[in-house]
Amino acid sequence: MDLSGIFGALLEIVGSPYHLFLLLIAVPIGMFFGAIPGLGGKLGIVLAIPFVFGMDATAGALFLIAMHAVVHTGGSVPSILFGVPGTGPDAATIVDGLPMTRKGEAGRALGAAFGASGFGGVIGGLFILAVLPLLRPVVLAFSPAEFFLLAIFGITFIAMLSGDSLVKGLMVGCLGLMMAFVTLDPQTGAQRYTFDLLFLWDGIDIITTVLGMFAIPEMIALGVAGGSMSQVDKEGARYGMAGVLQGLGDVFRHWWLSMRTSVIGAFIGMIPGLGGDAASWICYGHAVQSSKTPERFGKGAVEGVIAPETANNSKEGGSLLPTLFFAVPGSSGMAILLGAFVMLGVQPGPGLALNDMDIVWILIWGLMLANIVAVIMFVLAAPTLGYLSYVRGNLLIPFVLTLTFLGAYLSHRAWENMVLLVILGTLGYFLKKYGWPRPPFVIGLILGTIAEDSFHKAMALWGPGFLLRPGALIMLGLIVFSIGFYVWRTIKAKDGPGDQHAG
Amino acid sequence: MDRGINMQVNAVLNGRVATAFVMMLIFVTMSLMALGFPDKARLMPLMVGIPGSVLGLIQLINEIRHSAYETTDDAAEFSKAERSMFVWIFLYFFGILGFGFIYAAPILVFAFLFIGRKESLPVSLISAVATWAVLFGFFENGFEIPLFTGLLVQSIIA
Repeated sequence: MDLSGIFGALLEIVGSPYHLFLLLIAVPIGMFFGAIPGLGGKLGIVLAIPFVFGMDATAGALFLIAMHAVVHTGGSVPSILFGVPGTGPDAATIVDGLPMTRKGEAGRALGAAFGASGFGGVIGGLFILAVLPLLRPVVLAFSPAEFFLLAIFGITFIAMLSGDSLVKGLMVGCLGLMMAFVTLDPQTGAQRYTFDLLFLWDGIDIITTVLGMFAIPEMIALGVAGGSMSQVDKEGARYGMAGVLQGLGDVFRHWWLSMRTSVIGAFIGMIPGLGGDAASWICYGHAVQSSKTPERFGKGAVEGVIAPETANNSKEGGSLLPTLFFAVPGSSGMAILLGAFVMLGVQPGPGLALNDMDIVWILIWGLMLANIVAVIMFVLAAPTLGYLSYVRGNLLIPFVLTLTFLGAYLSHRAWENMVLLVILGTLGYFLKKYGWPRPPFVIGLILGTIAEDSFHKAMALWGPGFLLRPGALIMLGLIVFSIGFYVWRTIKAKDGPGDQHAG
Repeated sequence: MDRGINMQVNAVLNGRVATAFVMMLIFVTMSLMALGFPDKARLMPLMVGIPGSVLGLIQLINEIRHSAYETTDDAAEFSKAERSMFVWIFLYFFGILGFGFIYAAPILVFAFLFIGRKESLPVSLISAVATWAVLFGFFENGFEIPLFTGLLVQSIIA
């Protein structure tokens, strides 16, 4: 391992005031784009490209990667405070972040989100740094068979996210899958459920779905209940610095969970085509599955904020690997970064590993440093942000509704998305009202396309025998283990009170 | 006798039952529609849709059974406050769809606060102006992101 190259790159960043300055201005810009629904990191990078044009490759790439690295840190703010995700992958943070706000723990939730994001970003970067030489062949070994089963593995987490009713959870997950089929069939090109509407040919937009399933129902519920997002008096709430520090401390109190979800996130990010959106949901599911008290999730468990936030930021480190070495972007944001890198004179591809590893180390360090800077900046701002949860609902609702409609429109610049938003918002409200879990819908939608595409490819290549490939068998084992573990734990939980009663 | 009839009516009209029924209906409809697709295109929709329909039926039966034994269910009622919120959501939708963000959103913000929530005139006005400033100043001019201008406005201009 080229240690002098690795640490030389770090010195090149921290030893240069110019590079540090770029880092310091890129971080708040990235977080800002992440925090405003409808803007998102991709637009941020697109808008920043003219500014980095003419910079040397190192400075330009550092600026862009720093911006990109913290987009999801910013996206956690509206997710936690208002139930409106800044970006698609931030939706998983809503599930427990919003209930924490309602319990008067907005400061703690924000502290945990910022801490977890920073932790995930750093661990993800370190993980990639450490295992880069070993993981390249592993990533290349992923075939459609493993992709399909990896998607199914993700969907099995639906069971873990289903709360009290497994049937409801499975149904909502299946509905998400069905919605993923609303597009042109990837095999035949035939229209499926598109009703000759052009905007549905590309499928149902994830951002619109998340806004419909979460933001609209939350605003209706807030309007019905009255008051503010927080249902606890200011006096009894923890939105100040003490709450924020408690949230930060939670990340380290749950260090093993933070570590695991960071590594899982980085690994998922490394697999091109799986999509970074899945990382936060899979890690959320892992947190529920591995918890001794899964019943707390969805009601304001801090681990439910930590897991998706660590994954959101660590996956960016992971997705650098396929983006830089195979020129195959690991996420949609990375696809735009890829173009920007080419413009800056960085030529992604296998040649980069042979000729220009310096820029790779700089990007990995830049990613980690940006995450650290983001934590410092936004922990200081968190108490003020937490106070927003006490703004009266009456004042909040019209602005959030405007942003929600704006987000849905801007995600694909299609007014038809607003129609979808209202339909999904109505459905989401009744699902919320009658106790149907909503997260499985999003997971199903995200993984449905990947599952179908990989299934057809695997069948074409190997027939049904694809399930007997070594990698597929490992994935099948994981699926069976995860379902078995869930069933065992459910039975144990049901037996528990009975035993106590008997005792 | 009356109680039995009431229980049956309650079971049918209950929101929980209606939600379960709608969910099942979506699966059944989508599965039936899938039968009209080419072989390869309908494989996955049917692989998911058929089990979804079966689960839907199970859940519907569960909800009907559950509801039949419930005497009161406040959560199942569709309250006046809910109706009001849905009216506002649809006003937002049709307003923005017809007149676009720049014109409709500030007016809707003002209307929601001043008419819907009886906020004071200064608060409502400031909120409307702030909305306009963000949309027009920040998005359209600052970032040069063209916002939706509204179908009615587009047809008038055309």
